Amino acid sequence: MFPILRHSLKRLAGQILWWGLSLAFLAALLIPFYDSIAQQQSQVTELLKAFPKEVMAFFGNINDLSTPAGYLTIEFFSYMPLVLGIFAVLVGSGLLVGDEERGTLDLVMAYPVSRAAIFWGRMLGFAIAEAAILAVTWLAMSITIAWTSLGIGWGSAALPFVSLFAVVLLFGTLALFFSMLVPSRSMAASLAGFLLVAGYLITSLATLNPDLETINRLSPWKYYQSGDAINGLNLGWLVGLLAASLIFSGLAWWAFERRDIRVGGEGGWHLAGFNLSGRK
Amino acid sequence: MSVNEELAIQTQGLVKYYGRVQALFGLDLEVRQGEIFGFLGPNGAGKTTTIRCLLDLIRPDGGSVRVLRMDPQKEPVAVRKRVGYLPGELHLEDNQTVAGELHYLVGLRGRSVDWQEVVKIASRLDLDLKTPVKNLSKGNKQKVGVLQALMHHPDLLLLDEPTVGLDPLMQQEVLRMIAEEQARGATIFFSSHNLSEVQETAGRVGIIRKGKIVEVAETEMLIQRAIRRVRIRFKQAVDVEFLCRIPGVKLLSGEGGLNATVQIDGEIDSLIKALAAFSVSDMDIERPSLEEIFLAYYESGRKEAN
Repeated sequence: MFPILRHSLKRLAGQILWWGLSLAFLAALLIPFYDSIAQQQSQVTELLKAFPKEVMAFFGNINDLSTPAGYLTIEFFSYMPLVLGIFAVLVGSGLLVGDEERGTLDLVMAYPVSRAAIFWGRMLGFAIAEAAILAVTWLAMSITIAWTSLGIGWGSAALPFVSLFAVVLLFGTLALFFSMLVPSRSMAASLAGFLLVAGYLITSLATLNPDLETINRLSPWKYYQSGDAINGLNLGWLVGLLAASLIFSGLAWWAFERRDIRVGGEGGWHLAGFNLSGRK
Repeated sequence: MSVNEELAIQTQGLVKYYGRVQALFGLDLEVRQGEIFGFLGPNGAGKTTTIRCLLDLIRPDGGSVRVLRMDPQKEPVAVRKRVGYLPGELHLEDNQTVAGELHYLVGLRGRSVDWQEVVKIASRLDLDLKTPVKNLSKGNKQKVGVLQALMHHPDLLLLDEPTVGLDPLMQQEVLRMIAEEQARGATIFFSSHNLSEVQETAGRVGIIRKGKIVEVAETEMLIQRAIRRVRIRFKQAVDVEFLCRIPGVKLLSGEGGLNATVQIDGEIDSLIKALAAFSVSDMDIERPSLEEIFLAYYESGRKEAN
């Protein structure tokens, strides 16, 4: 599994660098404004009240803008799963099927490596890449926080990233699972991307419309703590998100163990074929 | 399935569907240990599907497979450890050099490959390891494919069109390497559209048509027993009608009793014995190439279908 993991990380190195530095730059840019915004809390709140409440529902409670948790939520963490979700959905959907569509999986699968090693090596590579991007961003944010009056320690600043990691991982594994079922990577990415955006809309609008609460329970976004996590993690929600990721990974693995490895042109628009005869 | 110790590859009643399309129709195949076996068939006949079933890249819908006496579905890693595979359409990762790609593949084989061996084979193939994969020509990409299949000197080589894209000199070099692997004791199973190359290399050939094996024979035997043309020149004019009475012989032309052209299906012995009663000044036997034999099988299949 380790050669696969090492290779997977090598391939994702560019993405880790690009995403990590971009998000680190964004965090370092936004955090220093906290002091000036906190001083002008009343004017900023008045300004934001001019926006329709349906719009503001997507950013959290504007009255909390002067609190560290509220500021981090509104300025950064409220939309971050959507941004990193793009990375997760693209990487997750192409983790194995991308290579399959390019035809490079055929050769690797002819080597003495089990399907489980290939699957989990790639999966672990994806999780490590995501963690690395978040670690770089957290580092930049924590350094910048030290120059403000936010008063959040390095440990506390890491907690929203833990919650963010879990929710983004879930969408990545969902995309991976879809890629094992549908005929193409783009279709899997579209499906997972749709659920990512739909979950964001439902959870945001559920704060205005209680009728959406039932369906909101199915949205991973409901269990994402955003900036509030600096006051402590909801371990139940965190474990739930990680467990859901594990379940989708397990289902994707089950499917990968049983399906044919396609070469260019094979399979077409049929659903991925499985051997359900009981044998792997 | 009874496992034959002498066989490197054994399939029985292999069936494979792609959706609603059936690719293999109960394919029975036996490849002996240590032989070079040529696998012939037109495009879409099921050659690549068969090879991919042997490596557990795809799962058959029926029948059984044994590779080196193992079931590839139950022991895929053990099978692949002893097999070298060259896919028909080789795709390599573009964002690295040839050396980077090969280091990765060597890593997947564990400690069974010596890097010096990789360098040695690359040198024989005139392959520059520092070239970025994306800059490789089709022929050079094929060399990488051949190299990675041979680098661990496997017990069984599964080669799907091994010389495609290579220049004639390099084709000869690859065929030499294949022969060396056989001399070492390896079994070679290869598909090719270059029939003269199969004729030159393979001890036995199998012809697959529409997902079924239609012929397996020693390459020489297949050529020997195929229909051939014989031109006979007699010293004196004779009544060539006697040729029609020889079993398996068909008279095609008999110009003035001095020249005759016949087509013979099967052994030539009876014709020689019949000709012994006459004075023959010259005789020319046209041996068909493997290509003609293959085309005959393919054509007969088309006629059957029609």
